[in-house]
Amino acid sequence: MSTERALFIPVILGTPRQGRMSEHAARFVLAELGKREGVETELIDVRELPLSARDEGGAIKDEGFSRSVSRADALVIVTPEYNHGYPGMLKHALDTNLKEYVHKAVGVCGVSAGGFGGTRVIENLLPVLRELGLVTVFWDLNFSSVGKAFDQTTGALLDESYVKRADKFLGELVWMAKTLRHGRENVSI
Amino acid sequence: MKCEDCGVEMNHHADKIDYNAGLDDPDRADPVYGGVLEEAHTCPACGRTEVRAAAES
Repeated sequence: MSTERALFIPVILGTPRQGRMSEHAARFVLAELGKREGVETELIDVRELPLSARDEGGAIKDEGFSRSVSRADALVIVTPEYNHGYPGMLKHALDTNLKEYVHKAVGVCGVSAGGFGGTRVIENLLPVLRELGLVTVFWDLNFSSVGKAFDQTTGALLDESYVKRADKFLGELVWMAKTLRHGRENVSI
Repeated sequence: MKCEDCGVEMNHHADKIDYNAGLDDPDRADPVYGGVLEEAHTCPACGRTEVRAAAES
């Protein structure tokens, strides 16, 4: 298997909302991912993507975002749950690419103020990811009661159990990323 | 299909329908699938991916 090249797995922070707690979760996952040997990562913040709101899809593609997804072997999406759904800006950003996603792995981290850890937003996002051509892993990372999981001022992790949960989630994602890279490069349809 | 970076033969690993491309240019849309059928090819040496319309193969 050709795993000599480092895997590139960016983390997409899926909300531009002011005061977002998902940023703490995203930076935590980014740090955990960065500790893994053979993995490179970066944060993609939808707030920073210069996407027009006057059109949709590939017509407003951001070259930097497209380049990062093209290079990626897998994606981590960190999304809050807003009224049981995903942020409009996340969908707006995801829809600007298509070919960049094909046969790449994706894992989703759900974030919620309450006790369900974004399970409903993850379920809602899965069919979108499938249609984009991504392959979802069967581990999620659910940040329940996010206000207690992180220090709201510094973003420091307060609940160490998330280290172990992230390890399982990222382990599965890295396995899928390696497997799909092998498939993309060597297995023909 | 050769990789522009490596010259290595790329691996055809997926076909994907681009519905938006079909809306933008109905003449290119496949009458069966309702969108433009595209092939994804990835280079086994460097990982570069290229997509081309299936009709071009």
